[in-house]
Amino acid sequence: MNFFLETIKVLLLSIWYNVESFIYLFVPMKKKNIAGEVVLITGAGSGIGRLMAQEFAAHSTVLVLWDINQEGMKETARLAKSNGASRVHYYICDCSDKNEVYRVADQVKREVGDVSILVNNAGIVTGKKFMDAPDSLIEKTMDVNIMAHFWTYKAFLPAMIANNHGHLVSIASSAGLIGVNGLADYCASKFAAVGFAESVGLELLATGKDGVKTTIVCPYFINTGMFDGCQTKSSIRTLKRWCRKLCMATQTWKNGFIQHELVVHGQIHGYQQLHHKWPRLLPILNPDYVAKKIIHAVLTDQVYLLLPRTMYLITALKNVLNMKQAIVLGQYLGAFNLMDTFRGRSRKQD
Amino acid sequence: VTQLLIKQKAALLAATISQPSYNPAQLHKTGLQPQRHTESAILQTFLRPRLKCIDGELCLITGAGGALGRLFALEFAKEGAHLVLWDCNGAANEQTARLVRELGVRVHTYTVDLSKRQSIYETANRVRAEVGHVSILVNNAGVVAGRRLLDCPDELLERTLLVNCHALFWMTKAFLPRMKEQNHGHIVTIASALGLFSTACVEDYCASKFGAVGFHESLTHELIAEDLNGIKTTLVCPYIVDTGMFAGCEIRKELRSIIPPLEPLYTVQQSMKAILAEQQMICIPRLMYIPFLARALLPWEANVATYRFMGGDKCMLPFIKNIEMKTSNGHTKLC
Repeated sequence: MNFFLETIKVLLLSIWYNVESFIYLFVPMKKKNIAGEVVLITGAGSGIGRLMAQEFAAHSTVLVLWDINQEGMKETARLAKSNGASRVHYYICDCSDKNEVYRVADQVKREVGDVSILVNNAGIVTGKKFMDAPDSLIEKTMDVNIMAHFWTYKAFLPAMIANNHGHLVSIASSAGLIGVNGLADYCASKFAAVGFAESVGLELLATGKDGVKTTIVCPYFINTGMFDGCQTKSSIRTLKRWCRKLCMATQTWKNGFIQHELVVHGQIHGYQQLHHKWPRLLPILNPDYVAKKIIHAVLTDQVYLLLPRTMYLITALKNVLNMKQAIVLGQYLGAFNLMDTFRGRSRKQD
Repeated sequence: VTQLLIKQKAALLAATISQPSYNPAQLHKTGLQPQRHTESAILQTFLRPRLKCIDGELCLITGAGGALGRLFALEFAKEGAHLVLWDCNGAANEQTARLVRELGVRVHTYTVDLSKRQSIYETANRVRAEVGHVSILVNNAGVVAGRRLLDCPDELLERTLLVNCHALFWMTKAFLPRMKEQNHGHIVTIASALGLFSTACVEDYCASKFGAVGFHESLTHELIAEDLNGIKTTLVCPYIVDTGMFAGCEIRKELRSIIPPLEPLYTVQQSMKAILAEQQMICIPRLMYIPFLARALLPWEANVATYRFMGGDKCMLPFIKNIEMKTSNGHTKLC
């Protein structure tokens, strides 16, 4: 095509996609049918992995669960089965070990079949300041949070490409978009996960495999015990209230069943309580909400999912502002002290 | 974008600025205690910052045998810094040292394999014992596998991550404690524009450079939170530099003249300006701020449309073919 015409086409498309995004804030998007798909979830023994397994089960999918924690996984399998999964398989797999990932992947391919939805959810955090963390833990963080993604992609992507059908879900973190004080190695691994998933997504588009979708999930801290103790400083109350009202208005109109919980109470899975005395700009997220949003993103082929919604604004601001201005804003919001009260899980997470 | 803003505002205020450029050290001497970041942020927007003097400082450069590393070594030597050069290729490293010694600074060379943590720690100990304490750390070494993900052997994937990302961890752990004690130092990370936005065919490189950017950002925030204002950090994100590392990479024909691969000397000179001005981040050329911002602000589909239009989806294909030909002809990779 003529260069000039193509330039016009790109400009018009860009404008259209922006308008489309705006429209989709209010109009519900079409959801695809995933009944019968084989969904593989790593780190399915606890936290978001378990909730996602339950949500996927409700769509009559075949579930394959991976975790190093057998007890947690069995419980997840039981819950998933009762939620309507057609079949549930679970395997013990240490995602930090490349050979084990390949071995178990081969087993899955033999016993279950080709995986069509791959959810890389397993993640760990050392919780210690980078300079004080032992090197082996840092290497383990990188092994589980990013290297494991390489191996699972290498194991399961060829079949997806051959069928030109699949979905790659990468559960990264908002620490994969903004560097957080106290989480240098975790940030490195999550940034890498985001960059990797995006790169593979672009490669699939470049080779014309538009049947294989990508979803990159970047949630803020979730109340599953992994980041126990972390708090955001309370901030601009009126702005928060306004944002919440807007969010709830669009949410309830679009999808009545997605609850946007802003004040978090109570014990979940026996972990420590988190009390928030007043609404915050960046709430610690409710895991049910996160799981539901992730499933929704998968069903609507959404590429980037940032939770909560204010994260879109914050990421945009951080990139647009001069670095020093962004730092001033971050200090004001208390972003530099997020990890000060970190306690974490009493037992090791997979 | 920031540089443009600075220039515009400086031009506007030209008449009112009669005093010399802003220098934080001077302000301290006169008894003014600026609120560390707010005032310097505001002032930096209006006044052109002064370049700092690094005469006599000890600077460590990794990947000093490569094209960029060599130019960095020469530039730092011109500023009067003494050098410690690390590279896995001893011969190229020595060549750089020879060129630098002509400028009259002290140079020490070490052969290090950055993919091995123990090698880094041992050599760091040797540097401390034989040379002294490093105050400027330039993490320049980088590798790329040059294969698409599914064709790439696992060892090459791991190697890219280890050298581009893990090595930063170990280098920081080796040299930052002493910098913290003295509250004086500068850590420079030469990442890449591919650490700010991705492209097809080089998944390992993108992952590792994103990781480098994330680590650098987090480290910067950590230093700020600990009030270590004497330790500066600079993140350099150049577009593709014409050093042969990405030989063959080509974007769309019509745009090739607007966005050609960068010249190594230009890249290094721009980076030096940023380092000496203690600028926290620089994208080279400034045009790279646009895709970086677009990724943060615009929806995915819009970015993909522009990406395809620019020829980004096909830009790495000739590069991959080059690497394939080289390895099938039996050319051995350096280190």
